Amino acid sequence: MQFDLDEDRALLKSSTRELLEKESALADARTVIEESAEGYDKALYAQLGELGYGSLLLTEDEGGMGVLAFAAVLEEMGRVAFPGPFLDLALAVRLLSQSEAPEAAEWAERAAAGEALVVLARLDATSGSPTRFTGGRVQGTKRFVPFGAHADALLVETGEGLVLVPRPGAGWNAVAQPTIDHAQRFAEVRFDDAGSLVAASDAARTLLEDADRLGAIGASALLLGLMDRSLELTVAYTMEREAFGAPIASFQALQHRCADGLLQTESTRSAVYRAAWAADETPDDAGFLAAVAKAWAGPAARYVCGQAIQLHGGVGFTWEYDPHVYLKRVKTLEQFYGATRDQLENALQSRGL
Amino acid sequence: MDLHFTPEQEQFRRELRAWLDANLERSWTEETRDPNHDADSLVELRRVWQRKLNAARYIGMGWSEEWGGRGASEVEEAILQEELTRADAPQVPNFLGISLLGPALIHHGTEEQRRRFIPKMLNCEEIWCQGFSEPSSGSDLASLRTRAEPDGDDFRITGQKVWTTFGPWADWIFVLARTDMDDRYGGISFFLVPIDQDGVEMRPIRQITGESEFGEVFFDGALAKREHLVGELGEGWRIAMTVLGYERGAATLAKPAEYDVQLDGLVAGLRASGKLDRPDVREQLGRLVIENEVMRSNGLRTLAQLASGHAPGPESSIEKIFWSEYAQRLSDSALDLLGPEAQLATRAQKTGSDVDWAYQYLWSRAGTIYSGSSEIQRNIIAKRVLRMPTA
Ligand SMILES: Cc1cc2nc3c(=O)[nH]c(=O)nc-3n(C[C@H](O)[C@H](O)[C@H](O)COP(=O)(O)OP(=O)(O)OC[C@H]3O[C@@H](n4cnc5c(N)ncnc54)[C@H](O)[C@@H]3O)c2cc1C
Repeated sequence: MQFDLDEDRALLKSSTRELLEKESALADARTVIEESAEGYDKALYAQLGELGYGSLLLTEDEGGMGVLAFAAVLEEMGRVAFPGPFLDLALAVRLLSQSEAPEAAEWAERAAAGEALVVLARLDATSGSPTRFTGGRVQGTKRFVPFGAHADALLVETGEGLVLVPRPGAGWNAVAQPTIDHAQRFAEVRFDDAGSLVAASDAARTLLEDADRLGAIGASALLLGLMDRSLELTVAYTMEREAFGAPIASFQALQHRCADGLLQTESTRSAVYRAAWAADETPDDAGFLAAVAKAWAGPAARYVCGQAIQLHGGVGFTWEYDPHVYLKRVKTLEQFYGATRDQLENALQSRGL
Repeated sequence: MDLHFTPEQEQFRRELRAWLDANLERSWTEETRDPNHDADSLVELRRVWQRKLNAARYIGMGWSEEWGGRGASEVEEAILQEELTRADAPQVPNFLGISLLGPALIHHGTEEQRRRFIPKMLNCEEIWCQGFSEPSSGSDLASLRTRAEPDGDDFRITGQKVWTTFGPWADWIFVLARTDMDDRYGGISFFLVPIDQDGVEMRPIRQITGESEFGEVFFDGALAKREHLVGELGEGWRIAMTVLGYERGAATLAKPAEYDVQLDGLVAGLRASGKLDRPDVREQLGRLVIENEVMRSNGLRTLAQLASGHAPGPESSIEKIFWSEYAQRLSDSALDLLGPEAQLATRAQKTGSDVDWAYQYLWSRAGTIYSGSSEIQRNIIAKRVLRMPTA
C-alpha cells in the first residue's frame, strides 16, 4: 500500500504548482477574476493546452494520465483559486472523445489543445420541460452554463441525447448570470440552433454519469486545494497578528478552530485521492467514493474558508484581503457538480439504500 | 498511490475469516444478551477466547517469533482487528497488557522480565491493567504524585490511581510513579506491581452505563521489586510515551467496520419503522454513511503510510478525534431517528441485529476522554503540526 503519488504524477503536481505560481499566483488570478471580460486568461489556457493539460483526464491509452493525475492538478488550481473553465473543459474533452460521432473527435482535439472552448449545458431553465432536439435543431433554454457566453461549442443535454452545438454566426443568445464567484462565469443560453447528435439517450446517460462522477471528484479536488491554502494563509496570519500582547495564534480557541480546519482538510485529502484512485483502478466503487468525497468536501471547505474570514477579523471582511475569494469559490463548487444533498442521496443509492 | 492489499495480505484475511467461522461460536452481542451471564462470567468467556486466539497465534502478532508473535506488519494487525470487529468477537481481556505493556517490555524490559511476564500475558493467565491516571493528574499526566521510595533493593509505592480499566479483574498493574519529586519528567519511573498484596486496594467504580469496568487503586507502601522496574530509574515517562505511540494503525480499519455494523442496524430499524424513505431521514443517514467512509479513507491512508515506511504524522490525532466524535453523532442520531422505542430494550431483551443504542449513546462519551481527550488532541495538532505558539 502506498498513499503518495508515483513519480510521474508527483512531478506533474509539483511542476503545475510552479507553473501556476509563475503565471497565475493568487494576485494575478484575482486580476483576471475581477477585471477580465471572459473570467479567465485565454493565453494561459492556450499554454495549458499546448502543455497537454487539456487531455489529462483521458485514460493513458488515449494519451491522458487519468483521474488521479487530474485530481492532483486540480488541487493545485484550487490553491491559487485558478479562474476559468478548466474542469468544465476537461469533462467535455473526455465526453467528446468517448463519442463515436465523426465531428466529436475533431472538437475533442481542438478543445484539448486549448484552441476551442467546449463545455456542457445541462440545467434546464424550466424543470419538467427539457430542451429538445428535433429536425436537427436544439430548442430550449439552459441555465448556469459555465462560461456559456464565450464557448465555441456547447454540448447540450436534450431529451433526445447529447447534442453538439457550434457557436452560431451571430453568437449565442446568452444572458450573464453573475454569482458571487467571479472565477466561474455562468450564462443562461437560449437555443434555437442547428446541432448534431453526439450520443443518443442511452449512450448519453452513460457518458453523463461518467461526467457527473468525474465532475464530483474534480470539484472536490478544487475544494481541497482551496481549503488547504486558505488554512495555510489563516494560520500564518494568526502568527503575525497580535492582540492582548500576544500573537493571536497562542489563543486556544483559535488553535482548536485551526486544528479542526486541519482535520477537515486532511480528511478531504484522504477522501478525494481515494476516490480519484478508485476511478482509475477500481471503477466498481468509484461512484460511491466520488459521492462521499463531494458530500464531504463541500461543507468541509465551507467551514475552513468561513473560519478564515472569522480569524482574520475586520480585514477578513474586506475586498482587499484574499479570504473572500476562497469563500466564494467554495460556494459555487459546493452547489454545482452534485450539490451536497444530492451527493448524500447518491451515496445511499450506490449502497443499495 | 496504491490502496490495494497485497496478495499475501488478502490470503491472511481469508485464513482469518475461515478460522473465525470455525472458532467463534457466538457473537459478543449474543453473549451479552444471554441472561445466564454476569460481569464475571463474561470476563471468563473473554479469557477463554483470548486463549483460543493465542493458540492460533493471533495475539501479539506484530512481535517477533521469540515472543510469541509472527513479526506481522501493521497492515495485517489492522486486518485482524477489522475482521474481529466484523465478526463481533469478544474483546480480549488483556488488551492493555498486549497493546501497551508487551511493547514496553520488548523494547525496554530485561530478558528476565520478558520471560517472566510475556507468556502469561499472552495466554491470559495474568490480566494486566494500566495505572497512569490519578485523581489530580489526567490530561496533565506528568504532574502525577504517586511515589516509589527505595526500601533496601526494592521500592514501596504510595498514592492513588484511578479510572483503571479492567482493574477489578486484574492480577498486575503497570504503574507510573515518582522516584524524584522535583524532576517533572525525569522523576517518573515505570513499575510492575502485583495487585494481590497488602498495601494495594482495588475498588470498582460505577460508570454512567451502570457497569463497573474501571476502578480506583490505593497504594499504601505496596511492594515493587527492583527486578520489576522497567528501564532505568527516571525513564518511565519516556517509555510510557513511546509505548503509547506503538498503538498506531491497529484501529484504523476496525473503527469504520464497527460503525458499519451499527449503520446496518440503523438502516434495519428505519426500514422496519417505515422511515427509510423520508427525505430528512435520508439526508441524516447519508451524512452518517459518508462520514464513516471518510473515516475509512483516513484509515487506509494511515495504513498506506505505515506500509511504505513513513511515520504517521497528524493522522493519528485526526483519527482519534474523528472516530470518537463520530461515535457520539452516530448514536445520538440513531436515537433521534428511531425514536424512544430504541431506548426501551435492555441488553437482555434485544434480539437479532438490534443495536443497543442507549448503551452506545452512553459508552460513546468515553472515547473523547480516554487516550488523550479531544481537547488534548486538538492541542497536539495546533502545536506540533500547525506550530502555533503556546500562550
Ligand atoms: C472509560 C475510561 C477508561 C479509562 N481507562 C484508564 C486506564 O485504564 N488507565 C489510566 O491510567 N487512565 C484511564 N482513563 C483515564 C483517562 O486517561 C483520563 O480520564 C484522561 O486522561 C483525562 O483526565 P481527567 O479525567 O483527569 O480529566 P482532566 O484532565 O481534568 O480534564 C477535564 C477536561 O478538561 C480538559 N482539559 C484538560 N487539560 C486541557 C488543556 N490543556 N487544554 C484544553 N482542555 C483541557 C479535558 O479535555 C477535559 O475535557 C480512563 C478514562 C475513561 C473515561
